[in-house]
Amino acid sequence: MQQNPFLAILTRLGTFVLVMVVLSIMIFVLARVVPGDPARMALGPTATPEQVSALRTEMGLDDSLPVQYVSYMGRALQGDLGMSLLSQRPVTADLGQTVPATVELVLVAVIIMFAVAIPLGVMTAHFRDRWVDHVGRLFSLVGVTIPSFLFAISLQLLAARYFGDWPIIGRMDHGLGFAGGPTGLMLVDSLLAGRIDVFVSALQHLALPAVALSMAGIGQITRITRSAMLENRRKDHVLTLQSFGVPERVIIFRYLLKLSSIAPLTIMGLEFASLIGNAFVIEMVFSWGGFASYGLNAILQKDLNAVTAVVLVSGLFFIVANLIVDVLIAIIDPRMRRKEAR
Amino acid sequence: MSDALLKVEGLDVLFTSYGQTRQVLRDISFTVGAGERVALIGETGSGKSVTAKAILGTLPRNATVSAGRIEVEGRNVLELPRGERDALKGSAFSLIMQDPLSSFNPVFKIGTHLDDVLRFADSREGVKSSRADRRARIAAVLRRVQLADPDRVMNAYPSELSGGMRQRVLIGLALLHQPKLLIADEPGTALDVTTQDEILNLINTLVAEEGMALLMITHNLGVVRKVADRVVVMRHGDIVEAGPCEKILAAPEHEYTIGLLDAVPPLYGPRVQTQQISAQAPIVSATGLGKEFGRHGKRFTAVKDVSITLREGEIFGLAGESGSGKTTVARMMMGLSRPTFGSVSVDGTPNPGRPLAQIVYQNPGTSLNPKRTVKQSLGLPLKYAGLTGAARDARMAELMELVRLPVSYLAKYPHELSGGQKQRVAIARALAADPKVLILDEPTAALDVSVQKTVIELLLQLREELGLTYFMISHDLSLMRNFCSRLAIMLRGEIVEEGATPEIFADPKHPYTRALIAAIPVVTDDEERHKPAVSPEERAAFLVKTTD
Repeated sequence: MQQNPFLAILTRLGTFVLVMVVLSIMIFVLARVVPGDPARMALGPTATPEQVSALRTEMGLDDSLPVQYVSYMGRALQGDLGMSLLSQRPVTADLGQTVPATVELVLVAVIIMFAVAIPLGVMTAHFRDRWVDHVGRLFSLVGVTIPSFLFAISLQLLAARYFGDWPIIGRMDHGLGFAGGPTGLMLVDSLLAGRIDVFVSALQHLALPAVALSMAGIGQITRITRSAMLENRRKDHVLTLQSFGVPERVIIFRYLLKLSSIAPLTIMGLEFASLIGNAFVIEMVFSWGGFASYGLNAILQKDLNAVTAVVLVSGLFFIVANLIVDVLIAIIDPRMRRKEAR
Repeated sequence: MSDALLKVEGLDVLFTSYGQTRQVLRDISFTVGAGERVALIGETGSGKSVTAKAILGTLPRNATVSAGRIEVEGRNVLELPRGERDALKGSAFSLIMQDPLSSFNPVFKIGTHLDDVLRFADSREGVKSSRADRRARIAAVLRRVQLADPDRVMNAYPSELSGGMRQRVLIGLALLHQPKLLIADEPGTALDVTTQDEILNLINTLVAEEGMALLMITHNLGVVRKVADRVVVMRHGDIVEAGPCEKILAAPEHEYTIGLLDAVPPLYGPRVQTQQISAQAPIVSATGLGKEFGRHGKRFTAVKDVSITLREGEIFGLAGESGSGKTTVARMMMGLSRPTFGSVSVDGTPNPGRPLAQIVYQNPGTSLNPKRTVKQSLGLPLKYAGLTGAARDARMAELMELVRLPVSYLAKYPHELSGGQKQRVAIARALAADPKVLILDEPTAALDVSVQKTVIELLLQLREELGLTYFMISHDLSLMRNFCSRLAIMLRGEIVEEGATPEIFADPKHPYTRALIAAIPVVTDDEERHKPAVSPEERAAFLVKTTD
C-alpha cells in the first residue's frame, strides 16, 4: 500500500494550513471580544469621543467580525499585518526586529536542553538506583517543578553576586557598536562580520536566559529518555546482541540511544508550546527585546494587530517545530516512514 | 563422558526479588556431546530458559548461581573472567532466539546487526576485517540459511521481512562464527506451522552438515521428536527424566512425562477423539461474506465469498495460518465488524445481537483488565443483561461453578490467577450473557499443553450442559482434529476445503490442507506415517516463501 511520499508531505502541509486558519479565527475573535476599546487605548484618555469614533471607523472596528476577518486575512496574505498602534509602525517591521531575538534564544535553549538531558537520561538509566541516578532524578525534578522565572531571577542574583561584570540584561553590549546583520541572530551576524568580541558578548548575554529557559525541558526530557532507555533495555534485541558478545557501550550508545531518542523527540514537539510560553516570562526578566516581550506589551495595551500577529507567529513556531520533529522521527524510524507514506 | 562439549553439573540458580529468594533451578545436570542433539523440554516455569541463560551468561541481575559448574570444552565458564567468557559467545556456542521480530532493533538495518556482531567477534580474536570482507562473509552465511537475496535482506529493516525470513537471519547470526554448539530457544514457535516446519528442517540440515551440537529448548513434544537424539524433561526447576528421544516418547517412566505426552492431542491413531456431527437445525448462517480494507483505490481483500452454516450443538473449526482471514470472519460473525459483502444471520434473525454470540479470546492475560477483579469483570456483562443485587451475585456464583472455579476467586485480580484459571474466567464472562454460540479465538494457544487439555475438557462439558454451539478458529490442526466436528480450511481469504473432520484428515483433497497437516510436529512415528504426502511443487504453490 505504498503511496507517493510527496503526496504524504502535501497532506501534512494541508493540515498545517487548516490549523493556522482555525488559530487565526480564534485569536481574531478573542482579541475583539475582550473588553476595552482599542481606539480609546491608542488615543489616550484625553481624546474626544469624535476622535475615538473616527479612529474606530478607520480601523474597520465598526464592521461585522466576518468582514473584518476576511479583509484582515486578505491583507495578511499579501504580507501586510496592519499597523501597530503602540509603535506606530507596520507590525511586520516590528516582528522582523523582534522575532530573530526570540528564535536565537529558543534555539540555544533547545540545544542546551538536548545536550544536557540526553546524556543525563542515559546515565541515570545506566546507573539505575545508584547515586548518579538519584542526583540526576532530583535535578530533573527540580527542573520540572520550579517555575522558570524563579530560575531566571536566581541566576541573575547569583551572577551579580559572584561574577560582578556578567551581563544580566539585554542581548549584547551596546558599547561595542554593532548594528546587527542580515539574519538578526547575534551569534551568526557577529561571526559573519568577523567580530569575535561581539560574538563573545552575545554568548555571555545569551547564557543565563537560555539556561533558565531550558531547565523545565531538561527535567522532562531527562525523565523521558531515562524511562525509554530502561524500557528498551529489557527488549529481546538487547539480549540478542549481548548473547553474541557485542560490547555494552555499543549496545547503549548505538542501538539503545537511537531507539530511545524517539520518545524524547516526540515530547519535545509537544513541549515546544510551553517553551514559547516560558520565553514570554524569561524575555521580560532579562529585558530581551524579543517578540515575546513585544507580544506581552501588545496584549496589555490591546494592540489588536500586534496581538494577532504574535499569536499567529507563535502558532507557526509550534507547527514548524513539530514538522521538524516529524521529519527527524521519520529519519530515525523506518516503521514511521512507511506509515507516513501509506 | 569427559569429552562432552557442554557439561552442566549440579546447577542451582536463585532469583531474588523484593527481598524474597526463590530457587528456580535445583541440581540440574546434563551433558551435550559433540554433534549430539539434546532437547530441554518443559512447560512454563520449568526453568528451561533459565538454564539456557545460565549457560550463555545472560541471566538477569537478580539471579545468582549458588552452586554447580557449567563446563564448555572442559573449562568452567562460571569461573572465567568476563572478557574470556564473552569470547566464547558465537564461537564456542551460539543462540537462536525465540521471537524473530523482537530479536532485532527496529530502527537498525538487518545488515547493521550482523556486521556489528561479526566485527566485535573478529576483534576479540584479534582479526582485522574490512567492511567489504565482512559483508561477503555475511552474504555467504545468509545463503547457507537459504536466503536467496542476501543484499536485499541486509539492506532491509526488521519490519520489512517476513517472520520466516527473520528467523532464518537469526539462525544465520548464530552460524556467523562456526560455533560448536547451537542453543535454540523455541525457534519457530512464533511462526506458522508450515514455516516452523521449514525452520526445523533447516536447523537439522545445518547441524548435520556442520557437525554442530544442538541444545533445543522447547515446550512442544512434536518438535522434540523431530530434532533431538536425547531429551531432558524439566519441571519446576528439576530434571524429572532424561534419556534417548525414542525411549522418552515411546515409554516414558515418570508420571509427569506420561501426563505431558497424554495431553498432546493426537493427529492419527487410536487415541484420536471424533466429535459427533450435529443433525440439528442451523443456528448461524453466513452467506457470501466478504471483507475489504483500505481506501483510495488500493483495496485489500481480507475475506472473499465465505459461506458457513453452523448447526446447533456442533463444533465448527475454521483453520488457517496468520493472514488467512479467519479472525476477520470471526469478527464479522460476532457483529464486531461489518461485512463488505454478504450477511450473517443468527437464529434466523439478520444482524446478530451480542447476547446470542460471545467470544473467548486467545490470550486471557490481555483480554482481562488487570485492574479489575474477577467479580468486576463478570459484573459488567451481567449489568447489561439486567441483573442486579442478589440475582447478580447468584448468577456469578453459578458461572464460577460452571467453569469449575471456587466462588472465593471472585475477589481475585487476574495476576493472582494462572493462565488456565484466567481463561476459565474469560469463558465465564462469555457465558454471562447466556449466549447460544461461543466463538473461540485460539482459546488455548497461550496455554501449556497440560492446561490446554483441561480447558478443552471444560469446553466439551459446557457444551453438553448448556447446549452450546462452538465456532473455533485456530491454526492448531491436531487440536482441531480432536475438538471439532466439522472443519473448514482457509487460505488467503477463501475457504479451500470443508467437511467432516475425520474425512478431511483421512483424505485431504486440497494440496494446502495436505501441506498444513504434513507440517504438524507429531509425537509418534505411527502418526508421521499417516500424514498425507505433499509434492515440492504443491508446497511452492501454496505456502508463503520465506527464502527471499
